Amino acid sequence: MKKLLTIFSLLLLPLVTPVQAAGGYGIELKPAENNLRDQDSLQRGAILFSNYCMACHSVKYLRYNRIARDLGWTDEEVIAKMTFGQNRVVDNVMTRMLDGVAMEVMGTNPPDLSLMSRLKGTDYIYTFLTEYYQDEKGNWDNHALKGTSMPNVLEGIQRHASPEDYAQAARDISNFLEYAGEPAKLERLDLGWKVIAFLLVLLLLTYLLKKEYWRDIKH
Amino acid sequence: MSDFKKSDSQVKQGTLLAWFDKRYPLVSTWNEHVGEYYAPKNFNFWYFFGSLALIVLVNQFVTGIWLTMSYKPSALEAFNSVEYIMRDVEWGWLIRYMHSTGASAFFIVIYLHMTRGLLYGSYKEPRELVWIIGMLLFLVLMAEAFMGYLLPWGQMSYWGAQVIISLFGAIPLIGPDLALWVRGDFVISDATLNRFFALHVIALPMVLLILVFMHIVALHQVGSNNPDGIEIKKVKNAHGLPMDGIPFHPYYSVKDSMGAVFFMVIFAAVLFYMPEGGGYFIEPPNFEPANPLKTPDHIAPVWYFTPFYAILRAIPDKFLGVVAMGAAIAVLFAMPWLDRCKVKSIRYRGMSFKILLTVLIVSFVVLGWLGTQPSTPELTKLAQIFTALYFMFFLVLPFTSKYEKTKPVPERVQ
Repeated sequence: MKKLLTIFSLLLLPLVTPVQAAGGYGIELKPAENNLRDQDSLQRGAILFSNYCMACHSVKYLRYNRIARDLGWTDEEVIAKMTFGQNRVVDNVMTRMLDGVAMEVMGTNPPDLSLMSRLKGTDYIYTFLTEYYQDEKGNWDNHALKGTSMPNVLEGIQRHASPEDYAQAARDISNFLEYAGEPAKLERLDLGWKVIAFLLVLLLLTYLLKKEYWRDIKH
Repeated sequence: MSDFKKSDSQVKQGTLLAWFDKRYPLVSTWNEHVGEYYAPKNFNFWYFFGSLALIVLVNQFVTGIWLTMSYKPSALEAFNSVEYIMRDVEWGWLIRYMHSTGASAFFIVIYLHMTRGLLYGSYKEPRELVWIIGMLLFLVLMAEAFMGYLLPWGQMSYWGAQVIISLFGAIPLIGPDLALWVRGDFVISDATLNRFFALHVIALPMVLLILVFMHIVALHQVGSNNPDGIEIKKVKNAHGLPMDGIPFHPYYSVKDSMGAVFFMVIFAAVLFYMPEGGGYFIEPPNFEPANPLKTPDHIAPVWYFTPFYAILRAIPDKFLGVVAMGAAIAVLFAMPWLDRCKVKSIRYRGMSFKILLTVLIVSFVVLGWLGTQPSTPELTKLAQIFTALYFMFFLVLPFTSKYEKTKPVPERVQ
């Protein structure tokens, strides 16, 4: 049994040291410290996302009614808060920008953000959002992604709100995008321990059954 | 063990069972493979992995069938359909994670199952065919996993397949045409995805199933080995039953059930709390749709292929690298003949085998780690050293095993 445990723990060893994210970001990522269970933060994040990000970005794999269900809004609320009544609840969360405009204005197509949190991690999103800086000529750039085409959309908040509120806004958006990356994540986390608890009871029963049957085997 | 008398295969007449048994060898098949299949009584935890492999296989079959109901094998729709499964299909995320975690679990179980074979000499006479059919299973499983990994149509799916299939191109003369024929296009494309889907969901699972059947039939013909490497059929009681054997059912059916549940606990922990397996089971770049115009910075195959990938990269010449990679698997087929020691179990074998086997396992693990890393001159050097050590096992073993100083093997299991 001891050997068995040693082997299993050795097997899990590589999992403890996560794969280095490819490419390197040039700077140390800041922990987003977001909390998926903080529904207020998710709601704020969704609203911030619709105000500051959706002009260019979509979360095309997410639908408004799914957001409503998961974030504790009614169908009417989600439409009012995120789209100013412009969409139906069954619509996917798509950018307001018309096709081709971004290419003309910024020379690139803004990526869909549905899976950004799973591709690069929530910490990356948070770091990226908060690492804009202005050089001496007054041009904006980003420490996390040099030469990014994306403007510092949170500049208004950065200038006028307290540093804490600014960080919180970035955190809320990161939180919302983590949710968007895997809407079933909380369901997964909440179901997991129940399944494991059930299996542990079953393990005890199968162990006792085995012990009972094996009583007559002489070693 | 004399209280286990061979159950009478005469079935009471006039029963439904008798009706069936007259038309189908129900009772005799059950008895031969389950009810009266005598297995050594001294199996340790290494002997769980055979039945666990079967359980993972069933998991892959069942979840695979359900994934197929919503997955779309088309370059335009594949990535979207996976996200559709993850978000919109009821319990789709669970089914998908069970399948993706199951793929990695399959290889963990199989690698441990093979290690068991090496530890206790389960490949030796009379079990050579059990080993060879098992190796074929391993080979088909690798093909199955490789093709399955293309289906989500993410960046790593795409470029991983691109790299591996381009290896065929390194074969002299026919290489480029062969690679073209495998892909069905000049690059990995919709045509490749469709044929990989067909092979992944129909052709290879069918081959796997047949091979699993043959693996078990071959095993039951010769009987199971055990940690002592003793043939239990040599010592029989008055009823002609092995003294150190116990019927598979109920003894090992209840023991394996316990092992299966223990495995499920670990499986569930990974599935629910780290389904990406730290970026090894589901690689982060695979959350970006395949883009033929954008090569990822660092292409790493899934972890279960990395030892062989490291061997491939260790050899400077591409074709020789492919040969070395193939040879790394091919030499395993020859194990029954490379190992010339009569003693089976490592418990009674000499120091030379213990050292060699340790070197093999360490090399395999180190190569596995190296295969996940970007190649640098230092790491390539390291990969070359461990590739040499890996092959050294198979080169040295035939000589050392012949003159090995073994301990006396007991007559009965301990």
